[in-house]
Amino acid sequence: MNEQQTNDSGTLVGRLIVVDDEMHIVHVLALKLRNAGYEVRTAADGEEGFELATQNPPDLIITDLQMPFLSGLEMCAKLRNHPSTSKVPAIMLTARGHALSRTDLDTTNIRLVLSKPFSPRQVLEEVERILGRPSAGALSKEAA
Amino acid sequence: MTNTRSILFGSAWVIALAALCTGSAWFALRLVENAHAESWRWLAVGTMLAVPLACALAVQGLARTGVVNRARAALALEGSVGINTGDCSGWFRTLAEAVNRRLAAESQRTEQLTARLREAEIRLSIAEAERRHTETILHSLRDAVIVTDPFNELTLANPSAAKLLGFDQAGSTHKPIEDIVKDDELRRIIKEVRQSGMLSKQRHIEHTMQPAGSGPNAGPPASFDVTIACLPPRTPVGTPGAPKEVGGVVTILRDITREKEISQMKSDFVSQASHELRTPIASINAYVEMLLDAEARDEATKQEFYSIIKGEAERLARMIDNMLNISRIEAGIVSVDRSEVDFAKVIREVIEMMQPQAKAKNIMLLERIGPLIYTAEADRDMMHQVILNLVSNAIKYTPEGGRATVSVETDDNSRSILVSIQDTGLGIPPEAMDKVFGKFFRIESYKRMAKGTGLGLNLVKHIVETVHHGQVGVFSEVGMGSRFWFTVPFEFQSGRSG
Repeated sequence: MNEQQTNDSGTLVGRLIVVDDEMHIVHVLALKLRNAGYEVRTAADGEEGFELATQNPPDLIITDLQMPFLSGLEMCAKLRNHPSTSKVPAIMLTARGHALSRTDLDTTNIRLVLSKPFSPRQVLEEVERILGRPSAGALSKEAA
Repeated sequence: MTNTRSILFGSAWVIALAALCTGSAWFALRLVENAHAESWRWLAVGTMLAVPLACALAVQGLARTGVVNRARAALALEGSVGINTGDCSGWFRTLAEAVNRRLAAESQRTEQLTARLREAEIRLSIAEAERRHTETILHSLRDAVIVTDPFNELTLANPSAAKLLGFDQAGSTHKPIEDIVKDDELRRIIKEVRQSGMLSKQRHIEHTMQPAGSGPNAGPPASFDVTIACLPPRTPVGTPGAPKEVGGVVTILRDITREKEISQMKSDFVSQASHELRTPIASINAYVEMLLDAEARDEATKQEFYSIIKGEAERLARMIDNMLNISRIEAGIVSVDRSEVDFAKVIREVIEMMQPQAKAKNIMLLERIGPLIYTAEADRDMMHQVILNLVSNAIKYTPEGGRATVSVETDDNSRSILVSIQDTGLGIPPEAMDKVFGKFFRIESYKRMAKGTGLGLNLVKHIVETVHHGQVGVFSEVGMGSRFWFTVPFEFQSGRSG
């Protein structure tokens, strides 16, 4: 999982964690992001994602909402409250885009909510945008 | 009436006769007093006796000749009301006419009053029938209905209301509403509507309250659609002592608990179905885009992507099929193709089909089929689906190196075919046992173990129980595995099904 990746020019561009209980989704996102030069670790549920993130904080987390043991939202709230991951931004992938309230977004570091079905290309673009502008606090139009 | 007239007439004659006798006696006595000679005295006595006798004989004679009858006819005391003035003249005629007019007016008034009385009796009878009619309708309603008067006392209630609110219907009329309705909020609303006095408006509210009954038998709070309307006043405004506001309040409580539950279930189903359908679509969409973006950089990766896309498309199709099949069965519109199904054959087909998946997890997939012929009248494709779903679950939730065995036998007690699928898998936690056959139910902690639609077991239950009138069940222990079983009734055939 801790595969060190570089982009086409051989530069490591960032460390990410992808969390989803859908194996195929994790697989496709990891491949897309690794191809772009990111180091990608994967987890199948919120608890596993939280453990990975706190052990070695990533630059960004991409997570599903509905997962066993610990939902994506609960995981993001825990990460926000953990000293080592309190600044780690997150992108939420969900089939239920309207399930998140403003409070949910305010109590986490979720910067963007993308609805499933999603485009891996768009996910990559958003990751680049968020990591390129780490101070960006504005929510995307979809999150708003 | 005729008898009264006869008595009056007879009395008049007796009085007249008595007066004549008295007059005759007085005259005779005067003669006797003045008679000096013996012969005159005898004459007086004779006169005294003879005159009344003569008068009586005269009356008798007149009666025989019809004069009396004519007089009676003149007074018209028999038959019609009034005096026949044709035989009268002078003051008697005038008097008779006045009497006649008075009698006619009184007669007419009597007739009118009689007609009114009959009409009132008919109206009363109709009103009574309508009241009974309305009462029967009211009593047959499942909705609880209570009617209160302007003084906030109960005037009418049906058995549903008595049961819901827990009061004795027979002995509660004219009791204050406070003694009938224990729910503070409902009482407050009734009072508020009564005080608002808005006759033209109905008020609808949704109200949750505890139905009557307490202690361990008390059910959960129920939801009610409450309709409250004011009744018009019974007495005109201004009547002394009558209240100036509404004539009362009618309150109707409809239990909508079940409707709300069904609505919530439908809403949950749509939400869950939409979520479940999006997941394979998301995979298909993502992998197709990866292929288009040339992210699959070698042939093996491309083949892997094609395979994933195909698998997810099949999963999507399966979910849609399951949903439609469950929906059709629930709606009672499923078409059943009944035939004599050989269960041993179907089991072998399913095992052959699922063997690659079992081998991939190093699971032994076995059959245990006796020497008999196991047939029952059923829909073959549906039986195939049921066994496939159960075997598929056994493989999904059995760790590598485990075992799954499909067996068939006859159950003579229930005259059915009994199919069992025993595995050495994870087992089902006790709290989930009664939910595993529900829609979209998946044991959270097992989700990582395998993908599923959450509809497979629900479809099994519908096919077995709803379509084939069989039974389905499970024995399970966490860590020890599960045994799913179902029965399908057969038509007994000697020498075949044993």
